[in-house]
Amino acid sequence: MTPRIAARRIGKSFATPVLRDVDLEIPAGNIHGLVGENGAGKSTLAKIIVGLERADSGDLLLDGRPYRPGAPAESLQAGVAICAQELSLVDDLSIAENILLHTATSGLARIRRKAAHEQAARVLRTVGLDASPEVRVGRLSLAEKQLVEIARALATDPKLLILDEPTSALTAPQSDRLHAILREEAQRGVAVIYISHRLRDVLAVCDRVSVLRDGEVRLTELSHALREQTLIREMAGADADFDARPRSIEDARPVRLSVKDLRSAALPRPISFDCRRGEILGIAGLAGSGRTELLNAVFGIDRRLGGSVTIQGPGEATEIRNARQAIRCGVGYVAEDRARDGIFRDRDLAFNVTIAGLKRVADRAGRVVRARETPAVSKLIANLRVASTGIGQRIRELSGGNQQRLMLARWLHCESRLLLLDEPTRGVDVAAKLAIHEELVSLRDSGVAIVAVSSELEELCSLCDRILVLSNRKLVAEFHRSTWRQEDILAAAFSAYDSGATRLADIRK
Amino acid sequence: MARSARLYRFFGENLILLSLVAIVAFFGFASERFFSVTTLSTLLNQLPALTVVAIGMTLVLISGAIDLSVGSVLALSAGVIGACVVLFGLPVPLAALVGILTGALAGFANGSLGAYLRLPIFIVTLGMLEVARGLAYLVTDSQTVYMGAKIQAFALPIDGLGMSASFMAALLLVIAFEFLLKSTVFGRQIVAVGSNESAAAVSGIDPRQVRCTVLVISGALAGLGGLMSSSYLGSADPNAGIGLELSAIAAAVIGGTSLMGGRGSVMGAFVGVLIVSVLQIGLAQIGITEPTKRVTTGAVIILAVILDRWRAT
Repeated sequence: MTPRIAARRIGKSFATPVLRDVDLEIPAGNIHGLVGENGAGKSTLAKIIVGLERADSGDLLLDGRPYRPGAPAESLQAGVAICAQELSLVDDLSIAENILLHTATSGLARIRRKAAHEQAARVLRTVGLDASPEVRVGRLSLAEKQLVEIARALATDPKLLILDEPTSALTAPQSDRLHAILREEAQRGVAVIYISHRLRDVLAVCDRVSVLRDGEVRLTELSHALREQTLIREMAGADADFDARPRSIEDARPVRLSVKDLRSAALPRPISFDCRRGEILGIAGLAGSGRTELLNAVFGIDRRLGGSVTIQGPGEATEIRNARQAIRCGVGYVAEDRARDGIFRDRDLAFNVTIAGLKRVADRAGRVVRARETPAVSKLIANLRVASTGIGQRIRELSGGNQQRLMLARWLHCESRLLLLDEPTRGVDVAAKLAIHEELVSLRDSGVAIVAVSSELEELCSLCDRILVLSNRKLVAEFHRSTWRQEDILAAAFSAYDSGATRLADIRK
Repeated sequence: MARSARLYRFFGENLILLSLVAIVAFFGFASERFFSVTTLSTLLNQLPALTVVAIGMTLVLISGAIDLSVGSVLALSAGVIGACVVLFGLPVPLAALVGILTGALAGFANGSLGAYLRLPIFIVTLGMLEVARGLAYLVTDSQTVYMGAKIQAFALPIDGLGMSASFMAALLLVIAFEFLLKSTVFGRQIVAVGSNESAAAVSGIDPRQVRCTVLVISGALAGLGGLMSSSYLGSADPNAGIGLELSAIAAAVIGGTSLMGGRGSVMGAFVGVLIVSVLQIGLAQIGITEPTKRVTTGAVIILAVILDRWRAT
């Protein structure tokens, strides 16, 4: 049988080879997993298939016919849809209009509002997003945008569907729902390419899995014959350590962050908690439970409606009111959406690292002294093992994992004593994730206090000393490392939703 | 590195400078009168006002904003200076200071409305373009206010230097603001705000404060431009600086500044000013009529953006 999509000896180089002679065949009705470290070539391969990049060598065959898309519009016409890792929605348009952008057959076709809204409502129901098609996309959270992106791809009724990290912002039930949809689509004959760092998901949903390493296919195997450890070994070339590290906690450590009755527009109920020196405090909760909003309110980006946030410095306590003052008191914040709130993409590594702590590399007159900046940044990127050509390289040329390490470097440069981290390993490969975890643990051991938000419960459980749970914008529970069980944390996360019981049942079946 | 690659890089990095040389050479050939004292003195007289306004515009554009009011603010400041000197009999230096402060005040109005009240800066400065022009007519009673020799000293060549105080001030400001942009904390903050406002806020920079400051600087520099243009003319003309905002934006863009913010240089803008001015004078000298001159100048601006795009990739 002719495969739905076949790649024959695909090669692509930017400065160095990114793909070398990649062969891949995916029959109709198959879900094919693609895993590998960041920079292994997964996203590049996907971009070639949808016409965002052109291969230097090799051929693509779609249903046995030569296929060489020059632009995404052509691949869309041919029945190939992608949900890219970097979301490509237009913030100023409504959900329905965003979907229409991809499904309209002609730019001159009159927009039939009602039909467009019905179509949008239908696919939104399919992906389980409870939002009106008229809502402006800019108002949605990251998880909701990801669902819209998926809905939009489904709305084009594709023959081949490519998903690049589709679940990175989704909660477990949302991911499960997506996986069920994918199986249905496959049954209807759609071929699916599923790119993800979540190996458990990949093994659960895919029929076959290929591992890419340094632009080469290292392995293609039926997924029931594979284990996570095998995939990791092939991806990294070595066994990675997944085990939770045992941890000792001393409660006598001084408090570094003290939050009292904090309220904001997004968090109507007052929230109070402490974080101690040398402690990693986890914030768990479903997407939309107020985790990000809590960090925003603590850091002072969102306007507070009440309560206080106090940083206990050595000797003195300071109440912080805004981001600038927080940074001065030694607080650092790594936001969830790196592209939006983190990096300056066209600037070099030095600019990106020192921007929050320019005073440290400037003289009294406000002049930035290169002789101070260069060694400081070089040392940080060496310590964090950032793979780059030097501090003059533009940050947009680095992989997600390396960019994320630079976001940490920014606050290490400020010698922050309290770090607020929102999804510190989002969109980062397994090896980089472990490296970031190690770095966080060693920071903790040096006395830094860390508050970390993550939608991966495994990550929080392996990293944290204590976990707070938010549910429906309320602080509902606190768990200690010695006594917590993952099921209990999960149950707490669902507890404050009215339909909590049913949704919990959903994910357990 | 291969010789051709090195050559290629040299051309890429010095493209606008080489274009300027090419334009000068072209007019040198095309017009006998081009390499003359008259050309040079016209150039030196016209340059300072556009230069200082373009400096401000460059900073504003890099910060991700725009200032359409500069031409009118220049006229308003000139008018205020004229009124101070002629009506109130203030000494020229004091009147000049009042004029520059008037510009800064207009910039502060732009900045506080645009940055703090979050109104679209394009619209705010478009409004200011009308308001300041109207005020300029009001303070001068719609007449050119003649000030004479008292104010012209600023624009006359200083003995032994061959350059006017006006011109030297403009040159020094180019160097000072290039330094500010490239080597100071504030310069980094301007670039950060223009390149990613939200990330800048997370990094502890207040984008509103940075933008407002930059707009005040732009207003003050437009005020200085008012002083320069009225000292060159010896009078305050309420019609001065019409369309100047476009020349300033053109100069900045020719010099490699991005209208989307986050990228640009003051030095580049200065070369842009030279290109725009030399084109104006040269085209006039070879007998090109005003309409054709405008077509040519417009085409050069577009060409510059195309070259810049090509250089960036």
